[in-house]
Amino acid sequence: MPWPRCSQKIENWLIPAAVLALWEILGRAGLLPRYLSTPTAILAALWELAVTGELFTALAQSLYRVAVGFVLGAAAGILVGLAAGIMPRVRHFFDPLVSFLYSVPKIAFLPVFLLLFGLGHASKIAIIAFSGFFPVFIASRHAVLSVNRLLIWAAQNMGAPRRTIFFRVLIPAAAPQLFAGIRIGLAHAFVVLFAAELIGSKAGLGTIISYGEEWVRFDLMFAGILCFAVLGFAADRILLAIRSRVLKGQIIGTEEQVAR
Amino acid sequence: MIAQARSMMGRWYSIPLLLVMWQAAVASGLVQSRLLPGVGAVWNVLVSETSNGALIYHASVTVSRALTGFVLAALIGIPFAAAMARSVLVRNLFEPIFFVGYPVPKIALFPVFTYIFGIGTPSKIAFTFLECLYPVVVTCYFGFSAVPTRLVWSAQNCGASRSTILRRVIVPAALPSIFSGLRIALPVAIIVVVLTEMIGDSIGLGYYITIWSTRFRFANVYAAIIVIGLCGLALDQAMLLLRRRLVYWEREEIR
Repeated sequence: MPWPRCSQKIENWLIPAAVLALWEILGRAGLLPRYLSTPTAILAALWELAVTGELFTALAQSLYRVAVGFVLGAAAGILVGLAAGIMPRVRHFFDPLVSFLYSVPKIAFLPVFLLLFGLGHASKIAIIAFSGFFPVFIASRHAVLSVNRLLIWAAQNMGAPRRTIFFRVLIPAAAPQLFAGIRIGLAHAFVVLFAAELIGSKAGLGTIISYGEEWVRFDLMFAGILCFAVLGFAADRILLAIRSRVLKGQIIGTEEQVAR
Repeated sequence: MIAQARSMMGRWYSIPLLLVMWQAAVASGLVQSRLLPGVGAVWNVLVSETSNGALIYHASVTVSRALTGFVLAALIGIPFAAAMARSVLVRNLFEPIFFVGYPVPKIALFPVFTYIFGIGTPSKIAFTFLECLYPVVVTCYFGFSAVPTRLVWSAQNCGASRSTILRRVIVPAALPSIFSGLRIALPVAIIVVVLTEMIGDSIGLGYYITIWSTRFRFANVYAAIIVIGLCGLALDQAMLLLRRRLVYWEREEIR
């Protein structure tokens, strides 16, 4: 590796490594408050959770909720959003509702959902779907409206039927913005998942975190936090991987490519 | 005049339609009125709780927390993004923290924040600051990096000093992206404050929602949701107004 690239790598990891090292050293020396634990203790707690299998049960439950809820919400958002983009009637119906509800934190509806769907999976899935719907809807609606009219006119001119225009022109042209909306929706889904599991739940990663607090096992709390963070991060990376497969040539030189 | 009224109806009919359907569903007994109180009941609660000051008090707590965290994030995040765009060392040091950390759900760290800053206002403000800092820094960083170099060169050619270039060229050129970052961060601030208030607090709209839902008084919950929506709309409109004032040379298409 040539020196400039190597030094860049060192600089890239300098701050995270320094923070971890300082955390460990100060924690072992007893200079940090007890609730901060230490990185090695957190890894040990993670191992303990993995050995007893608790970790995987919790992980599976959280993953199930966020996956089902998010897929439902995003699918509804794409379908309704595309319809709103194409048909002015649908657009006029949804626009006022969405512009009001968008600024409301969807988690505010959690008490209502808990009462409607109970304390189990259903209420979490419903609220995750509900909050994932809005960003996906807005992005899809906007994506259709901002498709270059010339492309559609050209296809019409060549005698393409409406179905072909929809699948071969509209969808590919709108795809980058669709993915942008899905990515925002995914981030919302994880925030709502965490809040829902912390406020009203009997299972999942949120419960590991709150048990850790109750039992004054801060290493367990941090292990739960770490798992949750990794889960959210991994989901985002998977989405980006799918996106770059689907869009292939369309994202060169865009912000997302730089961000990776 | 009539045509205008008709087009207004065509645009906004869905809200009254939904209210009518809501009222009809409650009146016919299809849904339990305890779970979904009628439109009139929610309106009564909204009026009485506003006139006795309860909703206004909790809303002012929530909004002031959200705005404090948001303003702190803007004041620190924008200069920081400029430094990242200008200096290779700063960029190399902080890029992974912001770009790898961006998709990590930071909400998971909230319990730690309550231990460090206590359960009240400071932990909410600190956490709102963290959540707003990410969109502000990332968006502004792209804005500052995308300032066309030839603008800077031509200003240098005309003999402008470094501070003049910063004030008159770089900041105005990056201003549209700064505002789009701020506009992403503002609703995030409100969402995060309400959410953390729901997890644990004794004041604020999030607390108001939790406390009334445990007493099964859902008319109060819906009234609070409406107030949150109105606060969000008002803040977003204020942000757009500020943008039109400051970035008067470029019109943004309003969603």
